[in-house]
Amino acid sequence: MQKKGDNGEAIAKLMFEMAKLEVPIIAIVIGEGSSGGALALGVGNKVLMLENAIYSILSPEGYSSILWKDSSRYKEAAEKMKLTAKDLYDLKIIDKIIKEPEGEGAFEKIAGNLKKEIKSSISEMNSKSKEQIVEERYCKFRNMGEYIKLEN
Amino acid sequence: MIVDKIKKRNLPEKNKKTRIDIPVGKWAKCEKCKEIIYKETLRENLSVCPNCGHYFRMHINKRLESIIDKDTYKKFDINIETSNPLELEDYPKKLKSLREKTGIEEAVSAGTGKINGEDVVICIMDSGFLMGSMGVVVGEKITYAVEQAIEKRLPLIIFAASGGARMQEGIISLMQMAKTTAALTKLDQAGLLYISVLTDPTYGGVTASFASLGDIVLAEPGAMIGFAGKRVIEQTIGEQLPDGFQTAEFLLEHGFIDKIVERKDLKDTLSKLISFHKGGEK
Repeated sequence: MQKKGDNGEAIAKLMFEMAKLEVPIIAIVIGEGSSGGALALGVGNKVLMLENAIYSILSPEGYSSILWKDSSRYKEAAEKMKLTAKDLYDLKIIDKIIKEPEGEGAFEKIAGNLKKEIKSSISEMNSKSKEQIVEERYCKFRNMGEYIKLEN
Repeated sequence: MIVDKIKKRNLPEKNKKTRIDIPVGKWAKCEKCKEIIYKETLRENLSVCPNCGHYFRMHINKRLESIIDKDTYKKFDINIETSNPLELEDYPKKLKSLREKTGIEEAVSAGTGKINGEDVVICIMDSGFLMGSMGVVVGEKITYAVEQAIEKRLPLIIFAASGGARMQEGIISLMQMAKTTAALTKLDQAGLLYISVLTDPTYGGVTASFASLGDIVLAEPGAMIGFAGKRVIEQTIGEQLPDGFQTAEFLLEHGFIDKIVERKDLKDTLSKLISFHKGGEK
């Protein structure tokens, strides 16, 4: 029988399996990445992001609709959500920002920057053992999100 | 006016106390059949409407009482608070007022306890706390619970009740899905049992992470379970979804849930499943 309404399960299972992969995973945010679908493919040893891409918990429209019950406040949401490459680098969610120069030959330049970064990520991880690759990726996501310890 | 003031001033202490004891708020209304129910009766009936059988959402303490043997629950000693990563002005205030209102620290409580004598690590979520949403505190407590289950070699039980990832913490909340999921791969590799119990509502990032990953997935009757809500999906794909879509019963039929268990039978079902799976341990 066809399974229905289980894309949540698909995301969970994908992350679960990827956490066990013994090869390096490089995830690159190149446009708009949001919610579980983006995260499911974003659980990499290295997470790179183009300078002008965005990566967020939800689209700004969805975010303002849930938080303020008003999807027309999407601009305000986009300001608050910290979804730019710079914000996410500061929050230690991504590892590297890929520059996106403008003007003539921009596409080639960006592709060149990306290629360079992928190559250096691979060569950096090539020297590592399978166990190290799995464990480092685990630690990276295990420590996501800062919190404050309270006195008892 | 003056007469009122005199009356108030002259009110004897004893009477004041009696006034507080008047049973205001001792009644609850069933949102399904609209029956007015005495709260004590509702409590004795495990928060299930005695008239129509509708399941009320459960407070963490009531859930603990109904599942864990008396006086055996030991909450993990992790006293943490969000760093408010999006620097939202109202968020810390909102959390503070919710803590006072609900009497719980966060949307999940995690610890160890016994179910009919069987030792377990247990996490219980509460949708009454910011819709049970998962931010860094919830993610950390669940991950810690998984790690404790591995360390103590105990089965893990998680009662999910959540609207999903917590919007107020933005991308940090999203990352808690990856964090809890990665921890569960270690539990899996350690060969330990994880039973996920889905209660109404289980949605979003919680469905798309630990709630879906139980070795055994149970659900309460009538619980609504999904990733995106029904209305959102319908609007996005421009199609009508079938009746009963996202109910526990629908998901059982379509293979996502292993068994629907009535609230009154949950404790015994869990202890049976745990003892049944103990056989393989060295």
